[in-house]
Amino acid sequence: MTCAEFQKILPDIIDGGGTEEAQKHLQSCKVCSDLVADLRYIAECAKLLVPMHDPSPKVWNNIERQLDNEGLAKPARRNM
Amino acid sequence: MTTAKKILANGVSEQEAIQRAQQGDAESFEALYGLHKRRVYSLCLRMTGNTAEAEDLTQEAFLQLYRKIATFRGESAFSTWLHRLAVNVVLMHLRKKGLPEVSLEESMEPQQEDGPRKDVGTRDNVLAGSIDRVNLERAVESLPPGYRIIFVLHDVEGYEHNEIAEMMGCSIGNSKSQLHKARMKLRDLLKQSKAEKAANRR
Repeated sequence: MTCAEFQKILPDIIDGGGTEEAQKHLQSCKVCSDLVADLRYIAECAKLLVPMHDPSPKVWNNIERQLDNEGLAKPARRNM
Repeated sequence: MTTAKKILANGVSEQEAIQRAQQGDAESFEALYGLHKRRVYSLCLRMTGNTAEAEDLTQEAFLQLYRKIATFRGESAFSTWLHRLAVNVVLMHLRKKGLPEVSLEESMEPQQEDGPRKDVGTRDNVLAGSIDRVNLERAVESLPPGYRIIFVLHDVEGYEHNEIAEMMGCSIGNSKSQLHKARMKLRDLLKQSKAEKAANRR
């Protein structure tokens, strides 16, 4: 299997699977194995991008007002 | 304590909150908003890069949710259903702005068509250990919207390709292909950033 052939099927096998031939190529080819390592590392690092910010309170205020306008829900009672 | 935490702390499950919201219970609407606002807002913010637009889209996504909540039958997870709505709201918004790269049918960028990657596999050429949140956020922001949304949905949010295909109205093969392109583009951007940092240190 050539690098071109391996990289062509890579989108389908990178998250698991692949033929024995593809595995053999991966084990024997530094270029493709470095590429796969990079792509898997990027996917793993995506977990760093955990959502950290909330929208401002006005978003809920606007939603609540619109729900009331449309008769979908009565405004929530606030704790005194 | 916010209404959202209280309604769940009292042993009311999300499922019960959904059922009550389907009956028009306002506190349940607010509880569901509290549970899901951060992820929906985060998706909108990643796709627009603008807090004002992201807030408008978040608002619109939740309003659509509440208008349609009576039709939710539980065939998928509620968060998946909500994300699908949010993705549609985001895509409509981007299309209205006339951004061409939103289409998933866009052909690959020419340089990625030119044969297999032949990067020389030296130790310095691999990314392992070099990515932090800041440079990854910057790189994701630079992605074309079509690549960005797939990367966010799959790698950040953890959706499977079959779920993404349903959300985006594309095939599973297309979702895999676009994700691959997104990761390849990120790899290029991150390597560039790494090389620039190394050059600045000299």
